[in-house]
Amino acid sequence: MSSGPDGAPAGAGHVPVSGDDARRGANGTGPSNRSAPLEIEGLVAGYGGVTALHDVTLTAGAGAITAVLGANGAGKTTLLRAVSGMIKPRRGRVLLGGHDVAGRSPEQVVRAGIAHVPEGQGVIAELTVEENLRIGMMSWPSGLGRWRAATGQQMPGGQQAAGSGRAERAAALDEAYGRFKPLSDRRRKLASTLSGGERQMLVIARALLSRPRVLLLDEPSLGLAPQIMAQVMDLVTGLSREHGLTIVLVEQNAREALAVADHGVVLNLGRIVASADASTLAADVTLRHHYLGF
Amino acid sequence: MPVVEFLQLTLSGISFGMVYAAIALSLVLIWRGTRVLNFAQGGMAMLTTFVAIEVIYHTHSYWTGFFVALAAGLALGAICELTVVRPTIGKPPLNAVIVTIGLLILLEGLAGIFFGGQFRSFPAAFSITGLKVGRTSLGVSRSDVFVVAAVLVTTLVLAVAFKYTSAGLRMRATAFNAKIAQLSGIRVARVLTVGWALAGLLGALAGVLVSPSTFLYPNSMDVIFVYGFTAAVIGGLDSPAGAVVGGLLLGIALSYASGYLGGSVGSELTSLIAFGILVAVLMIRPDGLFAGAQMRRV
Repeated sequence: MSSGPDGAPAGAGHVPVSGDDARRGANGTGPSNRSAPLEIEGLVAGYGGVTALHDVTLTAGAGAITAVLGANGAGKTTLLRAVSGMIKPRRGRVLLGGHDVAGRSPEQVVRAGIAHVPEGQGVIAELTVEENLRIGMMSWPSGLGRWRAATGQQMPGGQQAAGSGRAERAAALDEAYGRFKPLSDRRRKLASTLSGGERQMLVIARALLSRPRVLLLDEPSLGLAPQIMAQVMDLVTGLSREHGLTIVLVEQNAREALAVADHGVVLNLGRIVASADASTLAADVTLRHHYLGF
Repeated sequence: MPVVEFLQLTLSGISFGMVYAAIALSLVLIWRGTRVLNFAQGGMAMLTTFVAIEVIYHTHSYWTGFFVALAAGLALGAICELTVVRPTIGKPPLNAVIVTIGLLILLEGLAGIFFGGQFRSFPAAFSITGLKVGRTSLGVSRSDVFVVAAVLVTTLVLAVAFKYTSAGLRMRATAFNAKIAQLSGIRVARVLTVGWALAGLLGALAGVLVSPSTFLYPNSMDVIFVYGFTAAVIGGLDSPAGAVVGGLLLGIALSYASGYLGGSVGSELTSLIAFGILVAVLMIRPDGLFAGAQMRRV
């Protein structure tokens, strides 16, 4: 980091997000992976009598990485929870490809194409690696769902009804193992035996198996050694650049997050206080001192 | 012949132990899914056994009654979850405890109203005369063998389904981490209903299997519930395998107690001994004999 924080992220924010078709060819996770922006409009949410988010509006660009930054208690995690349905927003809209998913249950939101990776390397420790991955495909249409789609009843979200049978699931698992080699060697091991980095890999792999269009990542670098953290950040960058996934990245570590993000948003006490290109935010000394701590 | 007596008591203990294991398993299923201790489990089993006795009376077919009782158990479990337990989720744990105790009182009251309070004898599937090897009585009957086999087969089928089917994986994922399950698209509420239904089925099985040796009346399953609960605590409440082993251990221990302590004194003492074991386990190993190191969550 001898070049200083200003140097590292420069340019990252200006990578054009286009050519999605070419990217998706290599991806192969199906048609539901087409890029879509996530538009959050006037979101208000909280717990009990406490309002943790006040009128938050932001757009996570299609196929781009949007970093959500801020101190502890700024509302970052609440924002993700309100989007994914873990808490019900009091007001506001969450638009994915024009559909408002605000207020839906988590089961419905993931089916609509938004995958939420909560903080803390949330694997199910008592299950094997492969079982954890299979859970990622639980949102796929069941036999009944496919029948409904075939008879013309529209699925609520972006998921395609075609090809969710046994062979398709096996192929998706193989693809996950191909991308995450360390998991492949440990498929029958309990997830509790994995290292922190492998666990983070597993939760991201599980989220990807739901074939999301938008990935919400809550502090993926938390508790990881710097080298492992760099690997996770590379992975996140790859998902956006190569596969056109729309990513909302919540991070305490603002410097690392801005290094990989295209756009940055700073939350303070539940309100957005800054929103700009990642490189612009990283260059703003006052903002960094006040809110980002570097 | 002390050896023969020991063998007889052991076999008879295994037979009763399997019934306790079935009740324990039903409690574990619900506990793992919802962190609710279902005090109404015995009452649910009693009601489905009354359904069985009425069906047997009208159709003259034991097996029709048997399978109708199991189906009724499934339905009753699901209905109880959907109507009275669902509203307590997310509330303080004591709410669910009070609700299931209330449910028990309700079910026993309903049974009294519709089926009467008198003791009724319940038929056994097979002969209850003791099996013999040569001229030595084994102290167990074909009916006892059926009890063991029925619980064993049901348990194995459930275990295989939990391990190898997609629905089983959904149930395990929900039991271990409902938040992740939900975020992954598992319809957690539906999974919990299925868990209660399966618990209802196990309870119904236990009720039908134990009632030939206890008579049937609105409170007849209370003491069986206490034994099943003790077995579940021995096993650690979180462990299905522990529930089965706990049931067997308790069944055998109580069988020795009533056999060796002699006559009426022994059988009077069995409930007391069960309570003694329950208290001892809670004091020495509150997580049960089979709890893993990391089992307790906040």
